[in-house]
Amino acid sequence: MNEPPEAQSADEQYVLRWPAAEGAAGQTAYPSLSAALQGLSRHETACLRGDRSAPLPPWEITCRPLHGALPGRAAASPARPRYVYHVNARAGHPLSGLGGGEGTEESPWWGLATAVEQLTRLDQVGQIQLGAGQSVRLAHREVFTATSVERWKKLKENIARLVFLAAALVLIVPMAAILTYLLVQAWPALSFSFLVENPRNYMTAGGIWAPLVGTFCLVWISLLIAAPVGVLAGVYLNEYARDNWFTRIINLAVVNLAGVPSIVHALFGVGAFVMFAGMGRSLLAASCTLAVMTLPVIITSTREALAGVPIAFREACWNLGASRWQTIRTIVLPNSISGILTGVILQVSRAAGETAPILFTGAVFFSTLPEHGLGAFFPYGPGDRCMALSMHLFTLSTQVRGVTPALQYGTAVVLIGLVLAVNSLSIGLRVYLRSRKKW
Amino acid sequence: MFQVGLDLTEPAVECLIRLCGWSAILLVFGIFYFVFREALPMLGGKLNLVEFFTSPEWRPAAEPEPHYGILALLLGSLAVTGLSMLMAVPLGLGAAVYISEFSRGRVRETLKVLIELLAAIPSVVWGFIGYMVLGRIIIRLTGTPLGVNLLNGSIILALMSVPIIVSVGEDALKAVPDSYREAALALGASRWEIVYRVLFPAAKNGLLAAVLLGVGRAIGETMAVLMATGNSLRLPDGLLHPVSTLTARIAAELGEVVQGEPHYRVLFVIGLVLFVVTFMVNLTADLVVKGIRNERAA
Repeated sequence: MNEPPEAQSADEQYVLRWPAAEGAAGQTAYPSLSAALQGLSRHETACLRGDRSAPLPPWEITCRPLHGALPGRAAASPARPRYVYHVNARAGHPLSGLGGGEGTEESPWWGLATAVEQLTRLDQVGQIQLGAGQSVRLAHREVFTATSVERWKKLKENIARLVFLAAALVLIVPMAAILTYLLVQAWPALSFSFLVENPRNYMTAGGIWAPLVGTFCLVWISLLIAAPVGVLAGVYLNEYARDNWFTRIINLAVVNLAGVPSIVHALFGVGAFVMFAGMGRSLLAASCTLAVMTLPVIITSTREALAGVPIAFREACWNLGASRWQTIRTIVLPNSISGILTGVILQVSRAAGETAPILFTGAVFFSTLPEHGLGAFFPYGPGDRCMALSMHLFTLSTQVRGVTPALQYGTAVVLIGLVLAVNSLSIGLRVYLRSRKKW
Repeated sequence: MFQVGLDLTEPAVECLIRLCGWSAILLVFGIFYFVFREALPMLGGKLNLVEFFTSPEWRPAAEPEPHYGILALLLGSLAVTGLSMLMAVPLGLGAAVYISEFSRGRVRETLKVLIELLAAIPSVVWGFIGYMVLGRIIIRLTGTPLGVNLLNGSIILALMSVPIIVSVGEDALKAVPDSYREAALALGASRWEIVYRVLFPAAKNGLLAAVLLGVGRAIGETMAVLMATGNSLRLPDGLLHPVSTLTARIAAELGEVVQGEPHYRVLFVIGLVLFVVTFMVNLTADLVVKGIRNERAA
């Protein structure tokens, strides 16, 4: 091959092929594209002088990598040796003094010649002292293959990955199994009439309509109380509050309110709503207790949703002369409504599932209901005690004898289904709205 | 349209918003105040506080001299919480590390949603699972006569407190700047070495907060514990023996007592103890988290 000497140091060469029409077809390699183009211009003059009756086949300049890409070439290139050489130096070995230095697995010699040369040098200075039966083993491996250290690291990483994956799966797989089991057990009881019939025969037969209505009432009333207060509190924390000690105390209070045990909420409900406010044990008192309990969820998610609205939106509005409240009402709230809704929906699912706070503030094990008429369908006023689905599940499973398992499992499945449906709604809404975010 | 005179909408709305903003503080104080108010008549000398905390005798209905000792309940709460944390912390932090460092894309989103749904299951359903399903499994595996016991309650509580540990722990790991990971990667660290040598030290406060929040959740849990631990008054003395906790005792007895009598008030004292304990745990968690944030900012 006609290869100019300077091409050897470059990573690729440019090969010019000329067609047979000029006489002998051939090719020349150049170190750069410009050199190849100059070569082409020299050929052009030769070409124009030739016979022009036949159409000219095209010239071609190909870029060809010198290393690696073409088979057989990389090994031949002296600049990048393919193999490295090292001595297996273990403790107690005549060469162990080398550990960590040249010639070890982590720092091998490049090329056999170097290895031999270095070993010879080491032998001459007396570094290698072979006893009877001892040997020096010269190992070689390809460049860029894993050493034993790297293989060990990789193995550890894979073990760690598997352990962590197992931790995640241990949470999810049994859960899925249990939920499936519940569904299977509940299957005989699940029907439309199970949902719309009232409990009969001391709750050993019939459906779950009354508790279902009770839960709906509790959730809606608590929502009516908690949503406005929570959203406005979120607005205050994100839009009005300055970064000072008082705001920090409010944040602390929100965090702690979320952490108060549900049974303490129940005690608070008894002390404040049932006794002090004189509501008695009623739907209203229970809803108020639930509202207090779910307030932090709404505050936190509202604040996060508002914080997601870029400050430039507000500045633009203020520049048009809008007041703080006008800005919030017309710009900030509409742009963050999705996040706020997510929080409100989460509150709904939380409130629907809670038992302890309503246990002593308004829910009852069983309320006698009229058999027919409107009262059978909408049994509760705000001052009445009510049944609730979560409470009903507790009662059925621990307080009443002679309940068929299908009835218990059916109640549990309806409650889980309700809560998970509401939650999925919230998650779906979040995903959908995140995908359409405009900023 | 021209507006004449003062527009009162703005100040009125602002006043309302301010009031709602302060509601969280009002409510925390309100909870303390109303629980304290009901407990007060007992605290004023009638209740022997030394006996209250150190005696395992809980016989509130005994005549003529009732005993109010919550030691068994305190130890019950501690045992259930401790045991559940032994299970929940490794699992929760492990899952958090997997979600944050080892998975990506669709797998990560799916895992997060599943954990979120795990968090959504109501506590009474967990109690039901413990009572009806896990109890039977334990009876079959160990041959013990009673399926509702310390072990059952702890497993249920562990599953309940795992989601909060996962989500807070994942946030803590995510808060470590990517430059830390890139630096470690450039030095040749494997993913496990990054997690173990870089992320754990850098995120240790956040992970600690995750554990604390899990503890707070576990201590305060009521219905699941009431249904799954067997709610039996005894010092916790074995994995397969039923125990009772502070929360479950309140839930079990508040419905039976007459309002205003000592037994009723003692239940409020227990509530006060619970409130203070969880308040402390949550406060510590919050301060730990704030600690990192300030460190980062500095």
